[in-house]
Amino acid sequence: MADTPIPLEVRNIKKRFGDTEVLKGLSLQARKGDVITLIGASGSGKSTFLRCMNLLEQPDDGDLIVHGEAVQFKQTRHGREPADWKQVVRMRAKLSMVFQSFNLWAHMTLLENVIEAPIHVLGKPKKEAIEQGRALLERVGLTARADAYPAQMSGGQQQRGAIARALAMDPEVMLFDEPTSALDPELVGDVLKVMHGLADEGRTMVVVTHEMGFARDVSSQVIYLHQGVVEEAGPPQDVLVNPTSPRLQQFLAPKY
Amino acid sequence: MEWFNALLADNRIFTPDTLGYYWEGLVTTTQLVFLSLLVGLVLAVPLSILRGSKHKWIKLPIYTYTYVFRGTPLLIQLYIIYYGVVFFDGIQETFLWPMLREAFYPALIAFTLNTAAYTTEIFHGAIKSTARGEIEAARAYGMSPGLTMRRIILPSAFRRALPAYGNEVIFMLHASAIASVVTLMDITGAARFVYARYYAPFEAFLFAAAIYLCLTFAILFFFRHLEKRLLAHLRPQSG
Repeated sequence: MADTPIPLEVRNIKKRFGDTEVLKGLSLQARKGDVITLIGASGSGKSTFLRCMNLLEQPDDGDLIVHGEAVQFKQTRHGREPADWKQVVRMRAKLSMVFQSFNLWAHMTLLENVIEAPIHVLGKPKKEAIEQGRALLERVGLTARADAYPAQMSGGQQQRGAIARALAMDPEVMLFDEPTSALDPELVGDVLKVMHGLADEGRTMVVVTHEMGFARDVSSQVIYLHQGVVEEAGPPQDVLVNPTSPRLQQFLAPKY
Repeated sequence: MEWFNALLADNRIFTPDTLGYYWEGLVTTTQLVFLSLLVGLVLAVPLSILRGSKHKWIKLPIYTYTYVFRGTPLLIQLYIIYYGVVFFDGIQETFLWPMLREAFYPALIAFTLNTAAYTTEIFHGAIKSTARGEIEAARAYGMSPGLTMRRIILPSAFRRALPAYGNEVIFMLHASAIASVVTLMDITGAARFVYARYYAPFEAFLFAAAIYLCLTFAILFFFRHLEKRLLAHLRPQSG
């Protein structure tokens, strides 16, 4: 295993919006099979950090290495930008993202959503993509909804569909941006169950979440962010069960 | 009912001759509207994409064009093109002159430019209102800007623009009535002719109105069907 490249490594990521520095040099290494959860209060930079990992936000400084390939940057008038967008496209195809608000393409059926990127980005034959797509929908329990449009599905179904869409890319790493935050409480369980299954089968995942139970049960590493810096990081039994920093203790304390 | 029976029995107006004029008018109107809509649509697609460009020198000329053509009456545009084209030096010697000399082509040009301007703005609005999250998802899944435009933004925007575009088509049909003022024998032109010959304004223009109504109905029916097929994703309850 030593010679297989690390799926995702970020080093010293910095990001500012105007005068506010939101990420003050964050690093993370996701080895194969790792499940890394990012926790922290809103405004701590955890979502921005995740979005920097597939360059939905451009980091102002720092390195991004996907499957052993470092992304090249250049300085322009507008700030730092990737030097080669083809490289970015290639690298994004290896990282698939699941969003808080699902972001399924509304004019396509669920199955069309799942096969879209495999066909048009990866160049997969249509027939093969459909077969794979149906298998993935079965896996997330949505076989019956293959021909439904996103607006016709519940939030939980949409999010499970979005996970199927992410899996269809056969990604090196899956990025989850608060996947259950927009869901009704009774729908959260189904989505977490699917994510739990993915962790069990050895998927490499980086998850921004508020679900402390999920973080405790599934993560190999928990990172607690506070105002753009790592306040505490380590295995969940250390970070979540015996937090050392007073801030994290307060963050984890029951709110009511 | 009595007057209607009297009308039929004592009918000097709707002879095969006048009906022939109406038929020719129908053909002219249909050609004029269909061609201008078709060319206007073809022009509007790239224009609406470029209208949203980041570069001032691309979007400003397009905005100026749509502003001018939406900000002035179609009749004035038609007059300018029909009467004004003559004043271009040397145009009478070019191969274009035989076409421009007739009323049909200047009208076609005016209508095309007018509908292209409106359609550009309709599409631009629809493109702009594409959900940000869907575009972000396309980027996150490795789609290039071109592929995102082709596969995500345009298919979703065109669907949303459909009801507004259907209105534009009906508007163009009705606006085409002014082609008759530059001597074109469209449906309205035929009605004016029949009115002038028989001095029967009600019969002549009501018959024209009935033809426009039928055409409008056909357009509505067509767009209703198209919307039913293409906008299924916006209806929340599935069958």
